[in-house]
Amino acid sequence: MSSTFTTSAARNIFYGGAVFSFLLFLALTFRTEQVLPQRDQRAQLDNPQVVAGKRIWENNNCIGCHTLLGEGAYFAPELGNVYKRRGPDFIKAWIKGQPTGVPGRRQMPQFNLTEQELDDMVAFLKYASEINTAKWPPNIEG
Amino acid sequence: MDTTINPPPATTDAEPHLHGDLAIWFFILAELMAFGVFFIAYAVTRAYNVEAFNAAQAGLDRNIGALNTILLITGSWGVVRSVQAARADRLVPAVRWMGVGLVCGLAFLVAKIFEYRAKFAAGLSMDTDTFHMFYFSLTFFHFMHVVLGVCILGILLLKLRRGGYGSHDVHGLETGAAYWHMVDLAWIVLFPLVYVMH
Amino acid sequence: MKYTSQAVAKPYFIGAMGLFVAQVLFGLIMGLQYVIGDFLFPHIPFNVARMVHTNALIVWLLMGFMGSAYYLVPEEAETELHSPKLALILFWVFLIAAALTVIGYLAVPYATLARITGNDLLPTMGREFLEQPTITKIGIVIVALGFLYNLSMTFLKGRKTAINTVLMIGLWGLAIFFLFSFYNPHNLVKDKFYWWWVVHLWVEGVWELILGAILAFVLIKVTGVDREVIEKWLYVIITLALVSGMVGTGHHYFWIGAPEFWQWWGSVFSALEPVPFFAMTLFAFNMVNRRRREHPNRAATLWALGTGVMAFLGAGVWGFLHTLAPVNFYTHGTQITAAHGHMAFYGAYVMVVITMISYSMPLMRGRAANSNKAQVVEMWAFWLMTVAMVFITLFLTAAGILQVWLQRVSDTPLGFMATQDQISLFYWMREVAGVVFLIGVVTYLVSFFIKGEERAA
Repeated sequence: MSSTFTTSAARNIFYGGAVFSFLLFLALTFRTEQVLPQRDQRAQLDNPQVVAGKRIWENNNCIGCHTLLGEGAYFAPELGNVYKRRGPDFIKAWIKGQPTGVPGRRQMPQFNLTEQELDDMVAFLKYASEINTAKWPPNIEG
Repeated sequence: MDTTINPPPATTDAEPHLHGDLAIWFFILAELMAFGVFFIAYAVTRAYNVEAFNAAQAGLDRNIGALNTILLITGSWGVVRSVQAARADRLVPAVRWMGVGLVCGLAFLVAKIFEYRAKFAAGLSMDTDTFHMFYFSLTFFHFMHVVLGVCILGILLLKLRRGGYGSHDVHGLETGAAYWHMVDLAWIVLFPLVYVMH
Repeated sequence: MKYTSQAVAKPYFIGAMGLFVAQVLFGLIMGLQYVIGDFLFPHIPFNVARMVHTNALIVWLLMGFMGSAYYLVPEEAETELHSPKLALILFWVFLIAAALTVIGYLAVPYATLARITGNDLLPTMGREFLEQPTITKIGIVIVALGFLYNLSMTFLKGRKTAINTVLMIGLWGLAIFFLFSFYNPHNLVKDKFYWWWVVHLWVEGVWELILGAILAFVLIKVTGVDREVIEKWLYVIITLALVSGMVGTGHHYFWIGAPEFWQWWGSVFSALEPVPFFAMTLFAFNMVNRRRREHPNRAATLWALGTGVMAFLGAGVWGFLHTLAPVNFYTHGTQITAAHGHMAFYGAYVMVVITMISYSMPLMRGRAANSNKAQVVEMWAFWLMTVAMVFITLFLTAAGILQVWLQRVSDTPLGFMATQDQISLFYWMREVAGVVFLIGVVTYLVSFFIKGEERAA
């Protein structure tokens, strides 16, 4: 069986396919933006503590060891649901108590957060834990 | 991967050969794989939720679906006739038949938009339930293909009018036509699967 | 080398190799911290080592792409580079910015770095892979714009081949999607959603165009197969890559708060993502089998074939392994992801850059290929690195499977750290494989300095 195979056809299909896929992706993104308000707990962003907490999360590179909703580094526990797993007081005490200094164990740095900043962090983690993640993670251990 | 680069044959010959460019056949294969995986996912999911799917399916407008099926088959017929006419250098009918294909494609889109409007008005969306996730995803994915197909038919029509195709060269025409038939084929599986079968 | 201006690629490749070494060294530090938790603490905490590891990788791959483009575009366009001087200036800007950023990571706590670089003015820091200070990001954009200007001018005045066109689209796409790194909304879901427009649309989108173009270029050179044949296959492969990869972004949207239709769309389209990689492997082997000449640079051919195979295994097979939503529900954010990431980056992007370096460096040093002795050493490096990476991936996969079982599937799930303790044996084995990988890197660098009989260019 013979067939014709030309560069120009292959090129046109590449351009058509690329534009097509991108438009399809944009359409799905548009739909996503419509649905997000029901899932992303955006009302909590009116709380300045949540916004401040996200900045503290970023400025200390927490994602460099931990995962948040499963994304990040795999060196330390998932924190998307840590609010539900441990509760606010434990989180604050834990951050304050670092590093443990136990020989041979993984160490978390001391970030010297103020009481206010610790509360902001907790507010952010509470917000993260209430996002609708389609029932992920499978259990409370993250 | 061995493909010979022979000059585009204008007329059919004894040796079986693939009409249209090999590149479009790779693309069609990829597209049919995407549709195929989606169809299989639908069938498997449905098997676990037969009653819910049947109940939701009852709400679909089969008349518009049937009309759309007719439109696409007619459109494909027009495209086939157009290619045949172009091969015989009968350019005026070739343009007209391509016009039939194009109009059918556009009519499909219009009908589909009306169908979607009714669904949105009823408050249904991709996120309503699993059936409607599939219904909207599959039909919208196909809808996008029809949009692309209509664009391709439009380009073919313009080039036909300029005398760009004829017995000397129908390669590009056949390539575009092959894509359109794939869009048709996908619908012919999609329609019974999602609208009718229960 | 046909045009003298192509030689600007050389400093880029040397800079890339320097950062490659740094990347692997920091990888070994992290690997050790997985089993000896307080290793180098508090001097180099894990998160700092990881930033250096991943950012060095990204920057050296970018340098590799830039070097490749400076070499490739003039040759394809059949004209001198628009401005070799600009290319050299940008190299030093890029290298110094990268070095300062790494020094910043290592010298001060990250929060201090954020403060002194004014992160609060335009907060973009502290997100995975985009940890660079905002000012560094702006620097990257400026370097990228200068680079694109230089190459676009070269492209426009010369012959427009398919390889050049695809490469330029890939490079422009790279720059455009990087702009999403400046979008950091308070809304965590939107933050994550558009973060992937940088990360996924790079590695499973526009970077594949760059990969395809570089591979096609080297294959034309080492096999002598007709340009026409190679270029049309290039188009077919990258079409498949974009059609599957673009909507395939959805496999990252399963559990981050995005609507649940992504579980279907992401699964369906990413199930097709192995197809272009498989096609690329077939393509590379076919072209080499149909070669019309015996190119003296056999090492470059080996790297080109290796790219096809390892990209298929790492990105295709290991990607597919955990891409379907019901599987990913259990594997998301575990060592399975790490396993896939390592082999995919090595197989696709590290290897393609080395392919280009391996092909072009001898030419820039005035010979068609290195001496036989040097090539034998280089091939040893290939096998050491590649086999080591296969084992790194296998050990991480084993660790990941156990992790998923103990922590996620079990009726009595263990906590994160308790699970980690159970799987430390695999981390030790991964570290050993990592040391072998480093030996491979060193062997590769040594091969540049081995003399012997050379053929003139």
